[in-house]
Amino acid sequence: MGGKAESGNASPKSESMAAKKASPDLLNSLSFKSLKLKTKQQELLIRVSILGLVYVLAFIARLFSVLRYESMIHEFDPYFNYRTTLFLTEKGFYEFWNWFDSESWYPLGRIIGGTLYPGLMVTAALIYWTLRFLRFFVHIREVCVLTAPFFASNTTLVAYFFGKEIWDTGAGLVAAVLIAICPGYISRSVAGSYDNEAVAIFALLLTFYLFVKAVNTGSLAWALGSAFGYFYMVSAWGGYVFIINLVPLYVLVLLITGRYSMRLYIAYNCMYILGMLLAMQIRFVGFQHVQSGEHMGAMGVFLLMQVFYFLDWVKYQLNDTKLFQTFLRITVTSAILVGGIALGVGTASGYISPWTGRFYSLLDPTYAKDHIPIIASVSEHQPTAWSSFMFDYHILLFLFPAGLYFCFKRLSDATIFIVMYGLTSLYFAGVMVRLILVATPAVCLISAIAVSATLKNLTSLLRTKQKVPQTGSTKGAGSSKVSSKVSLDQSQPFQKNGAIALLLGAFYLLSRYAIHCTWVTSEAYSSPSIVLAARGAHGNRIIFDDYREAYYWLRQNTPTDAKVMSWWDYGYQITAMGNRTVIVDNNTWNNTHIATVGRAMSSYEDEAYDIMRSLDVNYVLVVFGGVTGYSSDDINKFLWMVRIGGGVFPVIKEPDYLVNGEFRVDKGASPKMLNCLMYKLCYYRFGELVTEYGKPPGYDRARGVEIGNKDIKLEHLEEAYTTSNWIVRIYRVKPPTNRL
Amino acid sequence: MAPRSDSQNLATGSAMSETSGESSIDPIFHILRIVPFSFLRPPRLRLKLPSFTLPSPMTVFSLILLTYFLVISGFVYDVIVEPPGIGSAQDPITGAIRPVVFMSGRVNGQYIIEGLSSGFMFVLGGIGIIMLDLALDKNRAKSVKASYATAGISSIVIGYVMSMLFIRIKIPGYLQ
Repeated sequence: MGGKAESGNASPKSESMAAKKASPDLLNSLSFKSLKLKTKQQELLIRVSILGLVYVLAFIARLFSVLRYESMIHEFDPYFNYRTTLFLTEKGFYEFWNWFDSESWYPLGRIIGGTLYPGLMVTAALIYWTLRFLRFFVHIREVCVLTAPFFASNTTLVAYFFGKEIWDTGAGLVAAVLIAICPGYISRSVAGSYDNEAVAIFALLLTFYLFVKAVNTGSLAWALGSAFGYFYMVSAWGGYVFIINLVPLYVLVLLITGRYSMRLYIAYNCMYILGMLLAMQIRFVGFQHVQSGEHMGAMGVFLLMQVFYFLDWVKYQLNDTKLFQTFLRITVTSAILVGGIALGVGTASGYISPWTGRFYSLLDPTYAKDHIPIIASVSEHQPTAWSSFMFDYHILLFLFPAGLYFCFKRLSDATIFIVMYGLTSLYFAGVMVRLILVATPAVCLISAIAVSATLKNLTSLLRTKQKVPQTGSTKGAGSSKVSSKVSLDQSQPFQKNGAIALLLGAFYLLSRYAIHCTWVTSEAYSSPSIVLAARGAHGNRIIFDDYREAYYWLRQNTPTDAKVMSWWDYGYQITAMGNRTVIVDNNTWNNTHIATVGRAMSSYEDEAYDIMRSLDVNYVLVVFGGVTGYSSDDINKFLWMVRIGGGVFPVIKEPDYLVNGEFRVDKGASPKMLNCLMYKLCYYRFGELVTEYGKPPGYDRARGVEIGNKDIKLEHLEEAYTTSNWIVRIYRVKPPTNRL
Repeated sequence: MAPRSDSQNLATGSAMSETSGESSIDPIFHILRIVPFSFLRPPRLRLKLPSFTLPSPMTVFSLILLTYFLVISGFVYDVIVEPPGIGSAQDPITGAIRPVVFMSGRVNGQYIIEGLSSGFMFVLGGIGIIMLDLALDKNRAKSVKASYATAGISSIVIGYVMSMLFIRIKIPGYLQ
């Protein structure tokens, strides 16, 4: 290599030069010539600098909303996580672990310590305590807001190592870059999105990487690492069920394709047993690993591995093929029989619980629509259309099949894993939009393989040396047959030009990907949802901060033991920011309680008043978008309240609220709709308001119609507060009149 | 020699080690030899247990490509939400019904045909990259390599351009 010889020549040369010339030349010569690195060091420098830049890129790409609005927590669920993290840092771990919260789900309360995944909160608290130890006295909210981008940067590093394990370092680097800006991942890990997925994707990829490393090396240390990675994943997110089903499925595929080996045996056994024991430390998970139907696949494959090992040992001892064949048949039959009987007995006796609704609806997507309206109502749980895929992946949709092709060309234990991860996660992403996030690392890795392999092919075309007539070695992709060497000479400049053109095309595609990702992040995924923005008449930006206005009004103007009834979407925010007790919140663990609230919202005022008195409600909060045109308000969600309420209380019938199957709020609406509590609370005094120039008063901008019932009188409630843009409206429940 | 058995052989209870061969110690085999089959004569059949061979990797890959096409076209969305194959809008002036190919207004909604055609474009682009790799394979004739390369490049270009066109039609404010 040229580098070696030159550095060898450089030092005596620089000394002789230094002896002859003055000191500035000495400085120059020393700095330039001694910086001549060997190729290996150059490569290391390039790799480290690329990874460093990608780390910074992943962090800053997620900071749009912090720069545009302020450093605040977004959405609904993160507010609960923030409140629990605050509690953890103030009261310590034991109080947090044993916390019973009486401020939500009045009058039932909620055992928070036993019904949450503590990984996220503990991680943020550890970062907070570390920073305080280093004397950086930041507020816990800042740590919470920036946890997700920090862990996204760490995910890019894990993606690099994973890509290196599966294919080579080039693929690892491309995977790190792709996953740093992929919108599918950014959507749930922007700064401010303080949700379980922020650390869960990091834990997922780490567990998979450590497991694949363990299978490749057969080392007990890596298997132990993967068990601890699995523990972190279990503590962070309910999606750990994906790992505990994918890994056994992968082991099964390896067994079927004849790739059983001692490495696989060590890796899977260690990870399964230790992972299961560690997972039982989380109270929310409990003994599900031995009791729940979703975890039985892992146990079945574990027993199957023991059978395989036993058969292998017997084969080694026997040295007789015929005898062994007989023994094989008997053992396999009896093992399957025993396993089947055990599973049957367990399921029949009820010890092994069946698949829960949330995960069963992934296997049978039509199940939730018919049976569980709460799951079907969440917009994130809808199946995915092609445009969502395109939005979140762009070019990766082209590179994914090509990457699969390269993986199938070079099958190994690691590539089989990534193919299975990619396919299963992509299927689940097709069933539920939210799960595009889980598929993103696999899609990025497989696409990175395609990019790396294609670029390698193209650049090897470029690097074929001009000196062709060497009978032994021919580098590059040119034909190695002697007969076509003459034509190779003539077509080489054409090939080189073609390769350069294709490389430019590849760079163009990747740059379009980067532009798309930045645009999507900026426009679609950086809105805090609690602060709304719109374009005014002159193109200036108008900010609607009504939610926080209403919550702070609640915090400052209501008695501390007041109870607030609202639809479950807003529960976490009311408890975290308004600091008041709520009836139902986003945890949605008690369907009957939510149905009671839904029934109250959809009944006439008198019946609703009885329900509210029975729940000790003092204030009612509704969200109304008629003045601003905000379309995610309670009137648009109203039919779900009816469906969920009607699912438990048959007095609520959905056709009562519809006219010819259509949901209307104007003059042609059904009388039950025009007089129900939700309608009255949303449209109280709205009939006098002119919302748009040229339209009559009482024109609802979100539905685009003039409302039917403008003369609303409230008997048992009175208006307490309406925010400046009429988005949040709060009503006080009047105490019963004195008996005369 | 009977192997040292552990827990695996406890369940069936009937067959021990040697069930093949005439000198069987299997009691059920002897019972069956006497009771139905001393007077019933089993016919001579030439049946073989079907042997299970694993398909080649490329066969599996083509099946997977088909599944990928279905998932990417939003097949699950079509089955659950049951949108129409193609939408329709009424022209406000003439009153005629015009077909609408792309469902506008939201990112996560589609008609069946628009999903299938977009999925096809994605798969076309993917196949283009695969054909490029096949074109660089050493052991083929030059003309075959050249045609693979041309087909691959044109597939990628067409797939990318059409996908960009579709997404621009679907989301009006794209890249603004």
